[in-house]
Amino acid sequence: MKQVIEGSHAISEAVKLARVEVVSGYPITPQTHIIEAISEYCASGELKAKFIPVESEHSAMAAVVGAASTGVRTFTATSSHGLALMHEMLHWAAGARLPIVLGEVNRALGPGWNIWMDQSDSLAQRDTGWIQLYCENGQEAMDTTLFAFRLAELVNLPVMVVIDAFFVSHTFEPVSIPEQAQADDFLPPYEPRIALDPDNPFALFQMAPPNVYMEMRQSIHHAMEHTLDIYDDVEDEFDAIFHRRYGMVEEINCEDADIILVTTGSATSTARQVQMDMEKQGERFGILKIKTFRPFPGELIRKALKNAKKVAVLDRNFSFGSGGIFAQEIKGALQPLSHGPVVFNYIAGLGGRDITPEIISEVYLKTRDRDLPSEGSEWLGLLPHEEV
Amino acid sequence: MESQANVIEKPKTHRLKNNVSLYISKSHASSRINKTGSWRFARPVYENKTAPCSASCPAGNYIPKVIMHLSMGNDHAAFRALIQENPFPATCGRVCFHTCESACNRGSQDQAVAFRCLERFIGDKAISDDFSLDITSLPVNDKKVAILGAGPAGLSAAYFFTRLGFSCEMFESTDRAGGVMQWGIPSHRLPKSILNHEIDRILNMGVKIHYNHPLDSEFMASAQHNYDAVFISPGLSIPLKMGIEGEAHIHQGLALLMDIQQKAMNPQQGRVAVIGGGNTAIDVARSLKRLGADPVIVYRRRKQDMPAFDEEIRETEKEGIDILELKSPVAVQESAEGLLLKVITMAPVSEKGGDGRTRVIPVENTTETMVFSEVYSGIGATLHDAWNPAPAPTDSTIYLDHVKFNFKEIPLIYGGDCVNSVQSVTHAIASGKEAAIALSAFFNSGIETVQKTVDTFRVGAGKALSMEIYLNGQRENDSSHVVVDTEINRDYFISEPRIDPGHILPETAVTSFDEVEKSYTEEEAMAEAQRCYQCGFCNECDNCRIFCPEISITRQNGKKVIDLDYCKGCGVCSVECPRNAITMKEEK
Repeated sequence: MKQVIEGSHAISEAVKLARVEVVSGYPITPQTHIIEAISEYCASGELKAKFIPVESEHSAMAAVVGAASTGVRTFTATSSHGLALMHEMLHWAAGARLPIVLGEVNRALGPGWNIWMDQSDSLAQRDTGWIQLYCENGQEAMDTTLFAFRLAELVNLPVMVVIDAFFVSHTFEPVSIPEQAQADDFLPPYEPRIALDPDNPFALFQMAPPNVYMEMRQSIHHAMEHTLDIYDDVEDEFDAIFHRRYGMVEEINCEDADIILVTTGSATSTARQVQMDMEKQGERFGILKIKTFRPFPGELIRKALKNAKKVAVLDRNFSFGSGGIFAQEIKGALQPLSHGPVVFNYIAGLGGRDITPEIISEVYLKTRDRDLPSEGSEWLGLLPHEEV
Repeated sequence: MESQANVIEKPKTHRLKNNVSLYISKSHASSRINKTGSWRFARPVYENKTAPCSASCPAGNYIPKVIMHLSMGNDHAAFRALIQENPFPATCGRVCFHTCESACNRGSQDQAVAFRCLERFIGDKAISDDFSLDITSLPVNDKKVAILGAGPAGLSAAYFFTRLGFSCEMFESTDRAGGVMQWGIPSHRLPKSILNHEIDRILNMGVKIHYNHPLDSEFMASAQHNYDAVFISPGLSIPLKMGIEGEAHIHQGLALLMDIQQKAMNPQQGRVAVIGGGNTAIDVARSLKRLGADPVIVYRRRKQDMPAFDEEIRETEKEGIDILELKSPVAVQESAEGLLLKVITMAPVSEKGGDGRTRVIPVENTTETMVFSEVYSGIGATLHDAWNPAPAPTDSTIYLDHVKFNFKEIPLIYGGDCVNSVQSVTHAIASGKEAAIALSAFFNSGIETVQKTVDTFRVGAGKALSMEIYLNGQRENDSSHVVVDTEINRDYFISEPRIDPGHILPETAVTSFDEVEKSYTEEEAMAEAQRCYQCGFCNECDNCRIFCPEISITRQNGKKVIDLDYCKGCGVCSVECPRNAITMKEEK
């Protein structure tokens, strides 16, 4: 049944449908609606879960780490500074191989205080061992959350479901909400491979000296690679029930396109519109939407981009002293090609600034009109300002 | 019937299995070889501390322990804990001015715990359910003590002397025991059946009492030969004079209160003045109201300076009794219309008097005359001439907090209102207890040990003494540290207002001497008890055991034991103790 709900609540609904057993949460804009709705489900009994209110995001993650260690399905959500505060426990969750699902709403970090859309928070956590899935709209947020539990439990890795602040989190859209029976069909009861049991005590996560640590890290790496291997199969399962699939990447008219624009999140929707509008004017470009950032689907990306002449990566994030983060990764992914496309890197939409159709047109035209990119990244849509 | 369209083709789900690489640190070997206790630089110690209520209670009531039992519905155990320190729970539960509530840490969260009402509940329950008096006592010794005056101090002295093994004989000048509780406090505040029950409980411990016995110097002289010690608590029975013109026309309020207890009273009428601002004035005014008069309280200072208890003042006003503040009587004259009371208006000045109270001075040319049918004085009382001046202190007089310990051939101990700076039933109880401990110390080890002994048995570092500590009860292990509100873990206490026991309506109240304040129900008492933090007192809530991350706190034979091989001194138990009953002590 379709209902008009906001993106945050699409995630909350999916958490309810997933029959999560323990939820912890600490409020932070723009994530709070997710946790708020779930706490109400817990209070009303709609969701039979233990809701643990905590005093910080560090504790929010610690609480679900503890709960997940006992073999139950867990969820928490956060954003921006909250995610940054969670950083240490993110490493723990992945190192402990716990299939925790985290709702993450992309928001800028301060100072200057900014509660709006920016990917810097989640991308700064790229090396923690978490799977990261970026969503374009409310429906994808709902589907990806349900999907995330299944994926996490198949590969024993935690999954971050990432949505754009306000553009997705606070936007009301029609979302198809599955029946509980359908959700149950897709997501079987969690069968943990490790679960603390007072009747059969053992120690977990203790000291790992040099003679074992490296292999443990490699096991996480293997799990990430395994994720790439089985991702399609899990989507098959999802598709069989819900008749929707997203792919780790989505190619939108990339075939024979000389120029391919690489996007993530809700900016993809704007790009889809610009693509249609420009086609009427005889201008043609492809779009490659990247959904899975970790594990990074390098091979799929290489396949999608290898025949293009130019690739324009639109980054809604920035790694200071280097460049856009997606652009870095894509350059790395294209490296094995002997005659790969030229990569242009554009920075736009930081701290909640709109990525308008005009900006996307500008990205296209600037790429079309030049043979080579300028050194480093190009910042678009900047406004006049006075410096101190 | 389900439509065709809704039938979903059963998908081939759950074919994927988790066969991912999974290598983590996990071991079935015991980690007990790692004795985390070796990391410790501070150890948790179960250490009960002193609650501020107990420290401020003149009788030294062990309030957290009383409340622990009450909050669990164990009324008899609550009574046993209370009666250890205070022989008059039902009485104090009505008339005490409850310093415990002013000191209550809960006050800074929402409102103080209503311990006075809880004390009354326990006292009444002990009477209605005839709880046995299971108190610790010492074996009977060969010493005989005479007690002069069967007021609250004398009766308390009898109670504590008897428990310490002394044989007591009481001498009372009137025909009843109870002193000011009997004839001074009106029945609407303290029903006499309740009081007499508590008096009888003491007398039934084997105390001999002689009524209508003159307490003169002749008797004093003989007592010194016939007893090993004398406790003297004559009370203040002589009303103070106002020293104004026409004083002969003023009735004594105390005499009125006594009459009400002793004989049928004629109805009164007309506007009546009651002069004073203490509890006597209040009691006289409220009694006159009940007799049919229209009393007005005339007080020379401001209302906020009145020594009467705040709640008594509130109830008085609710009953429709006016309080004229800053009016000082200067003369009373008879006239055809009635008594003319001349008063002068007073004004507060910024400098304080010697007693720390705001001074008032007369305002020139403000004399006015008021007409009353009667004028009563309720300004207080003093010692009877027989005791006044009190015997001159000798070298061997020890001034303790609540008694004067005089040694002349035998110990003569003065207690109660004639010694105490605050004249209250609770202070009188303190006199009785202090006298018993002091006398015991005197006979055990001589006069030079009296002060030191008394100091040893203080509740906290305050003036109150504990009989439970003296008799080697569990309370002796309590630290003297008085818990402050910041030491309470407020996360465990939800704010909720204190429970009002309720009062009969003022318009009904003034028609009889029936008790005005109502009693808690069992449910109300338990709910109010559960508001109490039980500061510094381990009530076996088990939080420490539940929170210990090393699982090094266990319960063995009903007692908690800390396994120091594994306690790493993290202090979580101490922090999660809601009431500061665990102290972290540095390892030496």
